[in-house]
Amino acid sequence: MGKESSDKSDSVSSRKLVLPGDLLETKSKPGHGIFRRDGRVHASVLGYSSDQSGYMNVNAITGRSYTPKVGDKIVAICVETAPSVWRMDIGASFNSTLHHSESGWKVPFGDTARFLAIGDAIWAEVFMVDAAGSHQISLKKDDCRKLYSGTIVKIGPTNVPRVIGKQGSMITAIREKTQTRILIGQNGHIWIDGKGNDIATAQKAIEMIDNEANSKGLTKKIEKLLEK
Amino acid sequence: MSNDSVSNLMRGHMESLAKEGKRADGRGINEFRKVTIETGMLNTAEGSAMVHLGNTKVLCGIKMLIGTPYGDSPGSGTMMTSTELAPLADQSFDPGPPREQSIELSRVVDRGIRESRMIDFEGLCIEHGEKVWTVFIDLHILDNGGNLFDCCTLAAAAALSNAKIPNVQHGITDKDVDLPIACWPISCTFGKLGDSIILDPTSDEEGVMSARFTVAHDENGNLRAAQKGMNGAFTDTEIREAVKTARASDNVLREALKGIQG
Amino acid sequence: MAGQTDMELIKDGVRLDGRKADELREVKIVAGVLDNANGSCYLEWGNNKVYAGVFGPMECHPRHKQKADRAIVQARYTMAPFSVNDRKRPGYDRRSSEISYIVSQAFEKVVMVEEFPKASIRVDMQVVEAHAGTRCAALTAASVALADAGIPMRDMIPSCASGKVNDVVVLDLNKEEDNYGQADLPLAIIPSTGEVVLLQLDGHLTPDEFEQALDLATSGCMDLYKKMRLALENRYGGSA
Repeated sequence: MGKESSDKSDSVSSRKLVLPGDLLETKSKPGHGIFRRDGRVHASVLGYSSDQSGYMNVNAITGRSYTPKVGDKIVAICVETAPSVWRMDIGASFNSTLHHSESGWKVPFGDTARFLAIGDAIWAEVFMVDAAGSHQISLKKDDCRKLYSGTIVKIGPTNVPRVIGKQGSMITAIREKTQTRILIGQNGHIWIDGKGNDIATAQKAIEMIDNEANSKGLTKKIEKLLEK
Repeated sequence: MSNDSVSNLMRGHMESLAKEGKRADGRGINEFRKVTIETGMLNTAEGSAMVHLGNTKVLCGIKMLIGTPYGDSPGSGTMMTSTELAPLADQSFDPGPPREQSIELSRVVDRGIRESRMIDFEGLCIEHGEKVWTVFIDLHILDNGGNLFDCCTLAAAAALSNAKIPNVQHGITDKDVDLPIACWPISCTFGKLGDSIILDPTSDEEGVMSARFTVAHDENGNLRAAQKGMNGAFTDTEIREAVKTARASDNVLREALKGIQG
Repeated sequence: MAGQTDMELIKDGVRLDGRKADELREVKIVAGVLDNANGSCYLEWGNNKVYAGVFGPMECHPRHKQKADRAIVQARYTMAPFSVNDRKRPGYDRRSSEISYIVSQAFEKVVMVEEFPKASIRVDMQVVEAHAGTRCAALTAASVALADAGIPMRDMIPSCASGKVNDVVVLDLNKEEDNYGQADLPLAIIPSTGEVVLLQLDGHLTPDEFEQALDLATSGCMDLYKKMRLALENRYGGSA
């Protein structure tokens, strides 16, 4: 299943919120969520700093835009069909492309809509991000496929680790208590399938995490919701 | 959530939930979301109200200025409604000239107040044939969580209920009096999801429903305004049922309005 | 600026609203108040009430405005018709246009637009009640909304005005002081470097008064900056 565990919350007690512009005291190499000025490292986003493995990063805790990374599994929705490609919404700063050669289907030129129409959803992988920031996705990897049932919930990509939980504990609890199948896109698009009411409960739990990711006592609240 | 693309899967899921009388957010098909009303927060307006209906948030300000009456009603005040779809309310609200949806919203809310004779226009006459009060109802949409029609109508009613005629400031008399209100129309908006009719759609539901129907009743249970929108169709039975449901369900909003009238 | 000085706006160091020359009006800032917007802020400053909302980075519309190597910041400032006593006609006017433009310019300096080629970051500021200093309030609220939206920036931008009434340089003009005073100087700075990203002047100041006014507005901005930080810390928890 890939990246189904998250141990980001380990050093909880020592985490301090940083804001854009804050100076970060570090000898580590600059990572993401930071910028350099006069040889010093500053935070560029609101989030928590993380000085690990020789890199100084700031992990954003807000924001709804997804930054595509090669290898990420995502849920994408078709927004446009063209003769040899589909334009896909993956929640990034602009739409992604699914090329017919990455679909795994034999698509006659101009016939793309027959395979994937506007509004259809897929479980795919980001397979290319170029220097100019353009990105492409693929249906040919692992368990990537078109999705035919269930529903899709959109959350902020920064809250994905919280939905997964420590070693996948949160998502496992949601899946088990609601008897649903769930695919979590790193882009914050989440597919849920099962019985109608069960999907609704799982959706509620996930949306609660998205809305209250930074509150205390969230885990207990979710447990209560799932018990009902 | 405020992203542009809507998945076909969501339509199927919502339609099958609705068949069982349920919604994605846990409500029943004839249930309103939580409503809160706050009034009188703006010092520069003669009346003001902020209404939250679920995630939808609308701020209404009432301004009253002295104007001239229409030729055919020399003893009546006048009114004007405007709705601003502030770009911060929805990713798809581009700044620029008003779109058709904005104009439809504005006109439906306006008619709901004007044609229902909610404001006692004769009570707004200052000098017959010469000077009357013009009531400006300005609705500012701050957050579009769906069902702007009902939220705007309620915000307008709440703001009007707290509005005072600025006699003192304009040197008309030495006392500001309440704006005269004759009746209280409350609107209920329904959406058609597959074969089910749902009340008070969220923006996700609006993205997948095929038709919309709004109906307003006054406190005596009489109809005051109605509008069917979007390009789908309702059956005759569905319309009649919706009207009955509106009368049964609008008390929630009416109670909220009464609550702030003190 | 009418500059009429027959009105006593400050007497024995006390202004009409009870403030001293270097006192800010009361400011209340709340981050994350809207559900749809990616980031948002509600700000009360004296009787000013402003909402700011941010979307993005997202696809740039209209297409012809797109830049191949960076994002564009599209800022828009609007006053609601009921925000002023003399109702303002809905719609865009030249003043709103100018303020929108200078706010966009200020943010272009701090937002890390190079990280999002071809995209657009939309900043919307809605003034729902106005009592002088609305452009400063709007800019400040927008900064908080941008941070709330997770937009990478080199710093937030606090904005505050100083001015002159009855020949005394004062901080943060209220409506009467703005109407009847002698000078109005809105300022916006980058707190970590002290750089000025917005400065305007209406009225009359001697060189000494200008230096004073600049100092005063700068200190007002720094005070404001503390409140902006607090608003975000309250929203997201200072430490986990």
